[in-house]
Amino acid sequence: MSRASLLRHAALVAICLVVALPIFWLLRTSLVPPELSYDPRIWPEFSTENYRTLFAGNGFGRNYLNSIIVALGSVLLATPLAALTGYAFARFRTGGKAARFAVLATQMLPPVALALPTFMIYRELGLTNSLTGLVIVYAVVNLPFLTWILMGFFEGIPADLEEAAITDGATNWQAFLLVVLPVARPGIAAAVVLGFILAWNEFLFALILSGPSTATVPVALAALQTSNGVEIGKVAAGVALAIVPLMVVSRFIQKYLVRGLSFGGVS
Amino acid sequence: MADIVMKGVSRDYGHGIYGVRDADLEIRDGEFMCFLGPSGCGKSTTLRMIAGLEDITSGSLSIGGRDMTHTRPRDRNIAVVFQTYALYPHMSVRDNIGFGMKMRGVGRRERDARIVAAADKLGLTKYLDRKPAALSGGQRQRVALGRAMVREPDVFLMDEPLSNLDATLRAEMRLELVRLHREHGKTTVFVTHDQVEAMTMGDRICILRDGHIMQVGRPLEVYDNPVNIFVARFLSSPPMNILPATLAEGRINTEIASFDLAAAQKQAYAAARNRPLTLGVRAEDFYAEPGIGRVAVRGRLQVIEALGAENILFLDIEGQQIAARVDRRFLPETGADVVLHLDTAAIHLFDAETETAFARPDPESLRA
Repeated sequence: MSRASLLRHAALVAICLVVALPIFWLLRTSLVPPELSYDPRIWPEFSTENYRTLFAGNGFGRNYLNSIIVALGSVLLATPLAALTGYAFARFRTGGKAARFAVLATQMLPPVALALPTFMIYRELGLTNSLTGLVIVYAVVNLPFLTWILMGFFEGIPADLEEAAITDGATNWQAFLLVVLPVARPGIAAAVVLGFILAWNEFLFALILSGPSTATVPVALAALQTSNGVEIGKVAAGVALAIVPLMVVSRFIQKYLVRGLSFGGVS
Repeated sequence: MADIVMKGVSRDYGHGIYGVRDADLEIRDGEFMCFLGPSGCGKSTTLRMIAGLEDITSGSLSIGGRDMTHTRPRDRNIAVVFQTYALYPHMSVRDNIGFGMKMRGVGRRERDARIVAAADKLGLTKYLDRKPAALSGGQRQRVALGRAMVREPDVFLMDEPLSNLDATLRAEMRLELVRLHREHGKTTVFVTHDQVEAMTMGDRICILRDGHIMQVGRPLEVYDNPVNIFVARFLSSPPMNILPATLAEGRINTEIASFDLAAAQKQAYAAARNRPLTLGVRAEDFYAEPGIGRVAVRGRLQVIEALGAENILFLDIEGQQIAARVDRRFLPETGADVVLHLDTAAIHLFDAETETAFARPDPESLRA
């Protein structure tokens, strides 16, 4: 190996360590007995106690399931709507530029400005402390963002394709479903992943709108900061588990995600 | 029967901007019509209006005698071949070709039979299960053609379909398109900015500029009798030479030469007397040798393009830039003084202000 290449690899190793170290320490903290959480030794003793008490004592399984339901549900609800809205903005003069930016309006407010009115409305509707309520609010809050991602994507698809389909005898709907959507698959995959991640990590709405039986992972983790101090071992275990679906999802869909975020087009 | 009749058709984009304005055009059943013009002249817009992909804001359009002004594209029974081919990237060649039939509810068995027949005709049989990305430009072009053909539409609309191909392939496809047209005999509208394509392929050509139709006619008719300077220059390469000129006492006077008109020309150009004129001479109407009715012009050779079959000379004659197409054996040195002979029977005269042509007598009758 030449000197230059050696240096380059050394730099890369250093960067990898910076990224990997916190994750390593997270795993380490979660897999030692709780009383050794702050022990300076690298790995004094192996124990799954944190995980066991997290599930048995804190009912983390329930939270985990809630998060999966809410994140999947909201993304399944929001993505088709975002695809239709984004397509309308990209292809037709729907509301002009003004409407494109108007849909972003909710993203420009601090989330708490939306959370409190939502709480009032939900109380009237009886949607507080319900997973349905969270699914709806996440879908609504993520819709503008997903719309913009998909809009960019649809704009990158040549209009010729739909025109070819339409002159071939397809209706506008058929052209959209049979030609545009399949071509936009990488973009849709990107939108699904990002929507899932946003919903998975969301804290504020979940905190205000959920109750004991509907708390999601972020809310459950926050609850581990008790009056008796932070139960850091359980937090570490919870965070380690919270990362898993994101790793799986991004790994599974990585090739789409990269193409989806960088190209935005076909051809 | 699938003639196309446009009456006063306009595409108004608002704010006084028109894609096409007041276009009147009749395309006959089975005709191969070429729309020719520079980019932005409205040729593609006109084609798209016939296809129904662009709204007609005023005027009327009928295809095969039925009013189609506001009919949806799918109900017009037309097929469009796009410049980009617009193949569906996620479908195999087979599915691309079969898509239109599927949309129109053609049964699976018949669909397959027609796909195979079209693929056979276009030499695509081996590629039926490939995706478009795995095809060369020429093969993609053929798939696009196949997709249009299998539908058996009343009208073919082609929007610069050859412009993404290299020169050899383009010449090949030109012949093939003409052959296919002769076979199916369907009305075809072909948009191009290439005058060679228009001249060689069209039964008739329609020349557009700034959203207006300038002239419609058979290629050679238009070439011989362009209605204005724009058409005259656009239809040939190098473009027709134009020079300021006057006509007095039966004599044309220009910077490069003065000569007497023949009797038939004097009569034809009676209206042109004592007005500012523009003289038009095509590059091929200069000759290396003198002859009857030819007048000598002398100039300095600036550039010579030896094309093999012929030479294009670019001369400076009395401050005027002149292009001449001469025999391949005439090969003067760059910078040399050159004498050429202008065929006075072949000239064109235009009004210098309106740029419109004065009808000219047939050059052949003058030579007789």
